[in-house]
Amino acid sequence: MVIVLSVIAMISAGILAQVYSITSVIIEENQARALESSVFQVLPGTTKVNIIRRSADELGVDDPKEMREQEQTTSLIYEGVDDADRVIGYAFVGEGNGYGGSVRVLVGVEEASDEILNVKVLEHTETPGLGSKIEDESFRKQFVGKKVEDPLKLGQDIDSISGATVSSRAVTEAVRQGFDDATAIYRGGK
Amino acid sequence: MASLWKDFVRGLWEENPTFRILIGLCPTLAVTTSAINGMSMGLATAFVLICSSALISLLKRLISDKVRIPAYIIVIATFVTIVDLFMNAYLPELHQVLGLFIPLIVVNCIVLGRAEAFASKNTVIASVFDGLGMGLGFTWALTLLGSIREILGAGSVFGYRLLPEGATTFGIMSLPPGGFITLGILIAVMNMIANRQKAS
Repeated sequence: MVIVLSVIAMISAGILAQVYSITSVIIEENQARALESSVFQVLPGTTKVNIIRRSADELGVDDPKEMREQEQTTSLIYEGVDDADRVIGYAFVGEGNGYGGSVRVLVGVEEASDEILNVKVLEHTETPGLGSKIEDESFRKQFVGKKVEDPLKLGQDIDSISGATVSSRAVTEAVRQGFDDATAIYRGGK
Repeated sequence: MASLWKDFVRGLWEENPTFRILIGLCPTLAVTTSAINGMSMGLATAFVLICSSALISLLKRLISDKVRIPAYIIVIATFVTIVDLFMNAYLPELHQVLGLFIPLIVVNCIVLGRAEAFASKNTVIASVFDGLGMGLGFTWALTLLGSIREILGAGSVFGYRLLPEGATTFGIMSLPPGGFITLGILIAVMNMIANRQKAS
């Protein structure tokens, strides 16, 4: 009976390895495409997305945990370019803690004016019908036109969604954090 | 043929896993926040149920009694992982919503329950029909639950708005208590219908 069980487990492992090798390629492509299309949304007019990568040395952080966090959330900045190769703006990811887990947002900032063009919620596990309203246009449009000098604080220049204060704060913090990190890393060239 | 039909319809009503036997309630309550979530979860479970029932029925002579539970779990887990990977590859949006609950199909008592109670004692074809009936029974129950909660909680069904934007909705219906309330009321209604059937 040990043999039967081992054989079943081996066959199962073989099948799964096969399925994984087929699907993992598609899954990665999907994720890359999803992020790219999000960049198009937060930077209207963009036709091409360039990824700007900064190495750990350039980030200037020593603490490994901090470095990893930086690496994951903000070491990538997406540069949106239009047909004439003119830079429209930059997009970066920020993260905040919501009611049901972390909330990741993509923020698009215009090159010319330094103002936020659009904010998109990439990932959240907030309560459907309550916290999920952070995806709604009416909430997200509050961020449009904000600059890094603005407070970007819930209750000051951003109104929370009634019944979803924690989720609203998560988005606001995510935008704030993304903005701070992006400017810290890309001082000068933003 | 008649007995196959019986195996099939049993899961739809008489032994409906959600409303009559009350098993597999954890995903039932957790994912039915909207109609589409409920239906997809039901269909994913149905697929796993049909495949694992067929395979376990096929292997029933090879698997000795002492190791049957681990063997069943491996078979079920294999199919669940396949569903998980394919859904992630071809239906990424849906996968994001259902996320955690797809791997949890492994421990759904309906799947293991049917393997133990039916597939290990019956022919492959009968097991497939049993799995199909139970799977669809689970699917319609979850879809109904999801639709009711979505209409009351968000004013829409399958993503289509029924109530105008800004209409008063009951946010609690999207939350876990709403799941318990809806399930409780539905079970009461189903019991009432079953009692009427018996009486007549």
